[in-house]
Amino acid sequence: MASGAFPPLLPKVDAILVLDGDGNRLAGKYYGDFMKNPSTTAAAAGDGADTTTDNAAAAQSVEQLRNSFEQQLQSKIGGIAAKPDAAEVVTVLGKTAVFCGGSPPGNNGGGGDVRVVHVGPAGESELVLAHLVEGMYEALSHLMGGSTDRAMVLDNLELVFLLIDEHCDGGIILETDGQKLAGSVLLRDEQEPAMGQGMEGQGGGGMPGQAPPMQSGGGMGGLGMGGGEMTIGQALMQARNQIMANLNQT
Amino acid sequence: MAEGDGLTMNNLISEVQGALDKFKLEDDATGANDYYSPYANLEKAAVLQEARCFHDPTAVRESPRKCCTVIAQLLHLTNTGQYMNSAEATEVFFGVTKLFMSDDASLRRMVYLFIKDVAETCNPDDVIIVTSSLTKDMTCDVDLYRANALRVLARIVDAAMLGAIERYVKQAVVDSSGQVSSAALVSATHLFEKNEESAAIVKRWISETTEATSSPNEMVQFHAMQLLYQIKKHDRLGMQKLVTQFSQRNTLRSPLALVLLVRYTAKLLTDEVSEGRQSGSFQTGTNFSRAGYAFLEASLRHKSEMVVYEAAKSICALPNIEPQELSPAVNVLQLFLSSPKPAVRFAAIKTVSQVAVNHPRIVSKCNEDLEALIADANRSIATLAITTLLKTGSENSVDRLLKQISVFLSEIPDEYKVTIVKSIQRLCLTYPAKHRVLVGFLSNFLREEGGFEFKRSIVNSIVSLMKQVPETTEGSLLHLCEFIEDCEFTMLSTQILHLLGELGPGTSAPARYIRFIYNRVILENSAVRAAAVGALSKFAARCPSLRSSILTLLKRSLDDEDDETRDRASVAVSVLKDAMEEFPYLAPPEDADPDEDPVPDVPQAGDPAAFVLLQGLPMSFDRLDRSIRAYVKAPAAMDSPDQLTLSTLPIVEEYEEPESAVDDGDDIGADAALAAAVSGKEKEKKEVVDPAAAVYAIPELAALGRVFRSSPPTALSEEEAEYVVTCVKHVLPEHIILQFPIQNTLEDQRLVNCTVTVEGDSECFEVAGEVAAESIKYGETVNAFTVISRNPDAPLAPCNFECVLNFGVIQVDPKSGEDESDPFEEEYPLEELEIATSDFMAKVSVPDFRSSWEIVGNSNEVLEKFALQFKKQEDAVSAVIDFLGMQPCDGTGHIKPGEGGKKPHMLHLSGVFVGGTNVLARAQVAAQGDASGVLLKIAVRSDDPDVSRMVADCIR
Repeated sequence: MASGAFPPLLPKVDAILVLDGDGNRLAGKYYGDFMKNPSTTAAAAGDGADTTTDNAAAAQSVEQLRNSFEQQLQSKIGGIAAKPDAAEVVTVLGKTAVFCGGSPPGNNGGGGDVRVVHVGPAGESELVLAHLVEGMYEALSHLMGGSTDRAMVLDNLELVFLLIDEHCDGGIILETDGQKLAGSVLLRDEQEPAMGQGMEGQGGGGMPGQAPPMQSGGGMGGLGMGGGEMTIGQALMQARNQIMANLNQT
Repeated sequence: MAEGDGLTMNNLISEVQGALDKFKLEDDATGANDYYSPYANLEKAAVLQEARCFHDPTAVRESPRKCCTVIAQLLHLTNTGQYMNSAEATEVFFGVTKLFMSDDASLRRMVYLFIKDVAETCNPDDVIIVTSSLTKDMTCDVDLYRANALRVLARIVDAAMLGAIERYVKQAVVDSSGQVSSAALVSATHLFEKNEESAAIVKRWISETTEATSSPNEMVQFHAMQLLYQIKKHDRLGMQKLVTQFSQRNTLRSPLALVLLVRYTAKLLTDEVSEGRQSGSFQTGTNFSRAGYAFLEASLRHKSEMVVYEAAKSICALPNIEPQELSPAVNVLQLFLSSPKPAVRFAAIKTVSQVAVNHPRIVSKCNEDLEALIADANRSIATLAITTLLKTGSENSVDRLLKQISVFLSEIPDEYKVTIVKSIQRLCLTYPAKHRVLVGFLSNFLREEGGFEFKRSIVNSIVSLMKQVPETTEGSLLHLCEFIEDCEFTMLSTQILHLLGELGPGTSAPARYIRFIYNRVILENSAVRAAAVGALSKFAARCPSLRSSILTLLKRSLDDEDDETRDRASVAVSVLKDAMEEFPYLAPPEDADPDEDPVPDVPQAGDPAAFVLLQGLPMSFDRLDRSIRAYVKAPAAMDSPDQLTLSTLPIVEEYEEPESAVDDGDDIGADAALAAAVSGKEKEKKEVVDPAAAVYAIPELAALGRVFRSSPPTALSEEEAEYVVTCVKHVLPEHIILQFPIQNTLEDQRLVNCTVTVEGDSECFEVAGEVAAESIKYGETVNAFTVISRNPDAPLAPCNFECVLNFGVIQVDPKSGEDESDPFEEEYPLEELEIATSDFMAKVSVPDFRSSWEIVGNSNEVLEKFALQFKKQEDAVSAVIDFLGMQPCDGTGHIKPGEGGKKPHMLHLSGVFVGGTNVLARAQVAAQGDASGVLLKIAVRSDDPDVSRMVADCIR
């Protein structure tokens, strides 16, 4: 039996990616040495100031590596739609990639076109990876208010970054439960549901129930509208910021 | 007042809402395409500009939202490949540290995230300044802050700082909040991998970690298990105890933690087998094997699919597993095959296909489920199902299977097709009777659309089938001929043309291939034309009856515009003309009796065309290349008056080929680029230094002549000894030069005038001289040499030599390196050195063992029979190779997996004995079944009866 087939004793994922329907990376994180050529690590470890150009060049090649990996990935997963509770599996460059989401071909622009992909070593159990990806996808759709289309995710990238961070730390999985994940991203503590109310003006913290953040498109993602806990001054300040922002765009 | 206030506020809010709705409406009206996202079309410079606001305390206090967005934008930049350079990163980083002033939770969260991201790219010295802020957060009472601060800290602390905050981390491990506890455990796992010092600190938290395994929080259990394994992984008994405890106590709730436990159990069981404590059935093995297997088996009934699958997979991967122990696992996998979840089906089919390699019978009960999977929407699953079926299917199901596949093949990517082609090739080997159908099937796909890799894999499969199943040859050649009629790949065309030239003339009707080949001469590019001309001339050389017609064809290529084609044509034409004059072809008379044996259409002895066009080199190009390199390296070789001929070239041993990974063909996605990278590395490895170079460097030794072969180094002392001595034996026609690399590991000594005295009791060996290593400083390795002369008249017999290292010691000051004393004499006994007959044998393979065996003939054959004390056939085979020091040929050096012990194994060996005598040996190794030993029958042939006898006597 090939040596790669033995499951890792210290399970780690190699990458977590959030890709849109065309395979563009909306957010994502690569862990460990995956898709990283050795020269990069050396340059990063060296003295920062001297290696500015090296860093840039190395970074460029890392980006190329990653892009080409994502292209290969997309060529395999494009056109497959995976239900939120039934992740699909493909293998790319000897890695196992498990994903949720996506839309079937011919359904362009429809909802749910974002894919959450977990990439793991070949020996990793597909079921474990599926468990992880399903957990994260659940949290994502919860955070995005049920519609995980490209625009929604792009508007709320901040939450996606936080989600990835709460889900996985340096390749080791931190939490897989979708509800708990969404809770920690929105700063709702599992044990102390009221804790968030202590912080003023935080995104979604004071919102009643499980309501997701704003559905609106224009730059409002995550803006706390819990008017009850705000002082008037803060409400005004936020409103002004928001209006200014909207004016600037249009 | 309160009422008024409320009113104003309500008014305000509704007004704001109204305004927002209006904007939103406008947005919607302008269309979905130009909606604005804070992350669309970001420019790095603009965001960096924005980031300046971090330095403004008012902005930080009053609009934390804005700061959050800017941080997210920065993260998005790095995410899309617009990396900051070091200067920019440092500046932003200092800005971000200012944000610790704000108490806003969301902002703090983003700050943590940013520091973690930047910690990888920033100068570590800069990052360290946030430690105090983080330490403060780590000790505060908000779980979220503590958990995150811990994780960030783990990224940036070094071992010394870790020591300072150890107390807090240790506490956090057993914190009541799952979030904090998990964060602490995961951070500890990262720290453990970071460096030795941190690992040493983490090891001290073992009792806290053990406590955490009984946490009610599932993830904490998982993380605690992981860390416990990290800490204990080199402690076999500790791990066994851990695994036994947890599998019996049944306290782990988390499926992920159980998955880990299953993996640890399987790892330990595998180690039990590989370290020889366990053999045979696991149920009757050691205590641990029994308990371990029982736990795996019990896990097959767990309620979580993850755990069940892990247990099934682990059982299937256990070494030497008995079929009855395997079948519960396969039953579970069979259920999984029809799961609605693709991941479950994929995992199950992957494992099943691996089991099918060694236990096709057990898997065959899943055949129905497998057939259902051929239509699976996930192509990887479908492909795996087919390849598995091809392994487990019976002979009569082949036709039905092929029909199903041919529908499927047209709609999948090439990569999967290649996998299937390989499986079909294997199937054809299992059922040679089906070759016509299978080869026909393969060649159908040659005609369809497909990329180079796909076509090449088919051609390779067909070609290797021709070698292994000779009946396929004629049919396959015609298929290939048709393929090159319309083949866009030059490489494949040339390969096939060459093959036609080799095999075509030997078939029943060689003439029918000529048309296909000549078409290539007319229609193709220069490389293919040259190959076609080459093939034509081979036909002419091998079949005198075709010569005159081929000569006409070849003459047309004499004015080809391509040099190579023209050269080949003119050589062939001139040689053929001579040959036809010398040996004119006599057609058999028209009225010859058809019942009579036809005159064989072969060239007569001495035919020049046959010699020039058909005789290959007596050695491979690879070997020629190595021999010439070795020739040039030997001193004075270039000035030698002797003529350089193939037979006077030095013998160069084969390199140990790195055992190529068994390519079972099922690794979907096995990627060509990776494989190329690996083979590239192997090539680099092959550039080894000639071991004899050290000998040639010393003029006295170089004068003794060319080194025939050099043995790999053998150790004469312990590796940890004060003076580490190894020995390399260089064999020359009449001498043996012993090279002793001596390493001085003592810091306060310098060794001078080192020699190794060897003493042996033998008629044929006599010590002739020594070359001392003059001075060896601390840490250096210097060579000493001892020359032994061999009496060529006395028969070679193995001989042991006592070795003693003689040297002078000078005490030195380790700091300054200056000598502190005069040398005093010392002796240091070394282990015995053996010179065996096999040292005089160079491992050289022959291209075609069978024909060489026949050519040498049995006039000097020595036959012997031995009973060897080996338990396993494999061991006996490798020992025989070792005894004789010869090169195994035709891949007989290893017993095919799965055949061990059942049949007698035939070993083909070849080598060159000192003096240049070619030696061939056939050895039959048969296990006697009752494990009482192994029976060896060996036949040795060479041109010299004494050599044959000596070689046969090598067996002990």
